[in-house]
Amino acid sequence: MQFELTEEQNLIRDMVRSFAETEVAPSATERDETEHFDRALMFDRLAELGLTGIVFPEEYGGAGADYISYAIAVEELSRVCGSTGVTLSAHLSLCANPIYMFGTEAQKQKFLVPLAKGEKIGAFGLTEPSAGSDAGGTRTTATRDGNDWILNGSKIFITNAGEAEIYVVLARSDKGAEKHRGISAFIVEKGTPGFSFGKKEKKMGIRSSPTMELVFENCRIPVDNLLGQEGQGFKVAMKTLDGGRIGIAAQALGIAQGAFDAALAYTKEREQFNKPIASFQGVSFQLADMATQIEAARLLIYNAAYRASAGLSYSQESAMAKLFASETAMRVTTQAVQLHGGYGYTREFPVERMMRDAKITEIYEGTSEVQRVVIGAGLTK
Amino acid sequence: MNILICIKQVPDMESKFKINGEGTWYDRADLAWRMNEYDEYAVEQAVRLKEQVKDADLTVLCIGPDQVTETMKKALAMGCDRGVHIADADSAKREPVEIAAMIAGFAKEKNFDMIFTGMQSQDRGSAQVGVMVAELLGIPAVTTIVDFVYDNGAIQVKRELEGGSKAVVTATTPVLLTCQLGLNTPRYPTLPNIMKAKKKELLTMAPDTGGTGSRQEIASCSFPEKKGGGLVLEGDVAELADKLIQLLKEKTTVLA
Repeated sequence: MQFELTEEQNLIRDMVRSFAETEVAPSATERDETEHFDRALMFDRLAELGLTGIVFPEEYGGAGADYISYAIAVEELSRVCGSTGVTLSAHLSLCANPIYMFGTEAQKQKFLVPLAKGEKIGAFGLTEPSAGSDAGGTRTTATRDGNDWILNGSKIFITNAGEAEIYVVLARSDKGAEKHRGISAFIVEKGTPGFSFGKKEKKMGIRSSPTMELVFENCRIPVDNLLGQEGQGFKVAMKTLDGGRIGIAAQALGIAQGAFDAALAYTKEREQFNKPIASFQGVSFQLADMATQIEAARLLIYNAAYRASAGLSYSQESAMAKLFASETAMRVTTQAVQLHGGYGYTREFPVERMMRDAKITEIYEGTSEVQRVVIGAGLTK
Repeated sequence: MNILICIKQVPDMESKFKINGEGTWYDRADLAWRMNEYDEYAVEQAVRLKEQVKDADLTVLCIGPDQVTETMKKALAMGCDRGVHIADADSAKREPVEIAAMIAGFAKEKNFDMIFTGMQSQDRGSAQVGVMVAELLGIPAVTTIVDFVYDNGAIQVKRELEGGSKAVVTATTPVLLTCQLGLNTPRYPTLPNIMKAKKKELLTMAPDTGGTGSRQEIASCSFPEKKGGGLVLEGDVAELADKLIQLLKEKTTVLA
C-alpha cells in the first residue's frame, strides 16, 4: 500500500496551488459579490495549463494523468474559489467524461477533443423540476424523426449553462418503456435551433459559477448525437455521476481546506485575554477535529480516485467520499466562521463565502441522502 | 546552442525550520521542498532563449539526495530537455567550492555555450557556486542579471548594482550568468508537460569533486535571539514623560 503522492502528483499540486493563489484567489470575493463568471480566468487559463482534459489520453487532447491528479487540481482551485473548482468538475466529469466513456470514435473526435483541449466548455443536463434525485422521472422527451431526434422539455440547475458550448442531455426516448429503460443521452451543441437558456439562478453560494435552465422547443439534433445506446441513458447518467462525485468531493475538500487554513491563521493571530485564541484548549480541540476530518476526507477521495484510475469499481467509494467530504466541508466552514467570531460573519473574511459555497456540495450531483441510498444499496444487494 | 542550467532544491521558506541534532544546519525532516527561487529565473531564461533560437539543448543539473529529482522534473516540465542528477546525500554538508568542482567536472568537456545559475541559494546564500564554476572552467561570469537579450551570438545583460543602479554588460559565449529576482516571471509547468517530463532523459552520476576537499565547515547554526516585545507605559502624561526619558537614557544611546 502506497500513501505518498508521486512526483508528478506533487508537481501538479504545486503548479495548481501556485496558479490558484496567484491568479484565482485575488478576484474570488469580487466575483462572488458580482456573480461574475470570468471565462478568461476560470476556464481559458485552466486550458492553457492543461487542466481541462487532465484524465483523458493525449490522442483526445488530454494530459493522460490519473484521477488523483484531477482530484488534486479541483481541490486546489476550490481551496481559494469553489466556483472555479466546480467549473472544472462539471466540464470534465459531467460532459467530457461520458463522451469519453460512451462516445463513438467520431463523437470523441468532434466533441471530446475540443473539450479536453479547453477550446469548448461542457455541461450536463439531467435535473428537471420533477426529476432531481429520481433521475428516472425525466420528462424531457426525444422523438425520432428520420435522421433526427427532436427534443422537448427543460432542464434546471445546470452548472456552466449559457457559457458551455457542448451539453450532454438526458431525455425520454421511449415513453412506453419501463421508467429507467426509456431514457437516452444526447449531445447538444449551443446554437442548435430550438435550444435556449431560461433564467439564471440567484444562488446562496458558488455565485461566480453560472447556473441556468436549459429549454428545448422542437430542438432537432442529428441521430449521430445519440450518446451510447438508445435506452441506455440512465446507465450513462449513473456512470457519469460516479465520476462526478470524485470531482465534487474534491471541491468540498478544497473548500474545507481553505476555510481551515484561514481559521488556523486567524486563531494563531487573534489575541483575547492576552494570548492567541489558538492556545486555548477549547479552540485547539476544534482545530484538531477539523484537521482530522479533512485528512479523512482526503484519504477517502484519493482512494476512490485511485480505484477509478486502476479500473476497479468505485461507485461505493466515490459515494462515501462525496458524502463525507461534503458534510466535512459544511462542518468545517461553519466552525471556521465561528472561530472568526463577528469578523467571520462579514464579507471582509473569506470564510463567510466558503460556508455558503460548502452547502451546495451536500446537494448537487446526488444529495447526502442519495449518497446514503447508493452506499446502503451496495451493502445490502 | 548547448546550455546548462544549475539548480538546487531548497526547503519551502514558509516551512517550520528546526536546527538539526549536531546544531550545524537545519533538520531536513518534515520540510516541504521546492526549486530555489533564483534557479527558477535561470530555468525560465534558458527556456525563453531556446524558444527564441529554436536550436538549443537544455541540460538541467542538480546535486543532492534522490528526492531532488522531483525538483528536476519541474525544470524538465518547464522546458529543459534532459537532466543530470549528481546523487549526493551529503551535499548540504559540502562547501561551495566542492559543489562548484562537481559542476565544473561535469561541464568541462561538454562545451556549454551558456551556463545559467541562480545568483544564490535561498538556504545557504553563499552566492559563490556560480562564479566558482566559471573560474574553474575558465569562462567569464556575469552576476545578478535582471535583464537578458541575445541577438545572433551577442549577449547583453543588465546587472543589478547596489543602490538600485544598473550596469549594462555585453558578452559572448561561452559565459556563465547568475540570475536575480526581476529577470523574468517563471512559467507554470503545464500539466501535459509535467506528464511528459517523466519520459525525458535523467542521468544519475556519482559525486566527484576531483580532489577538491573541504576547507571550511559550519561550526554552529542557530535562530536569532527573540527580541523582547514592545513596552507599554501607563500613567499620567507627566509621569509617562519622565519614565520615557529615564528608559531612553538607560536602555538606548539616544540621550546619552
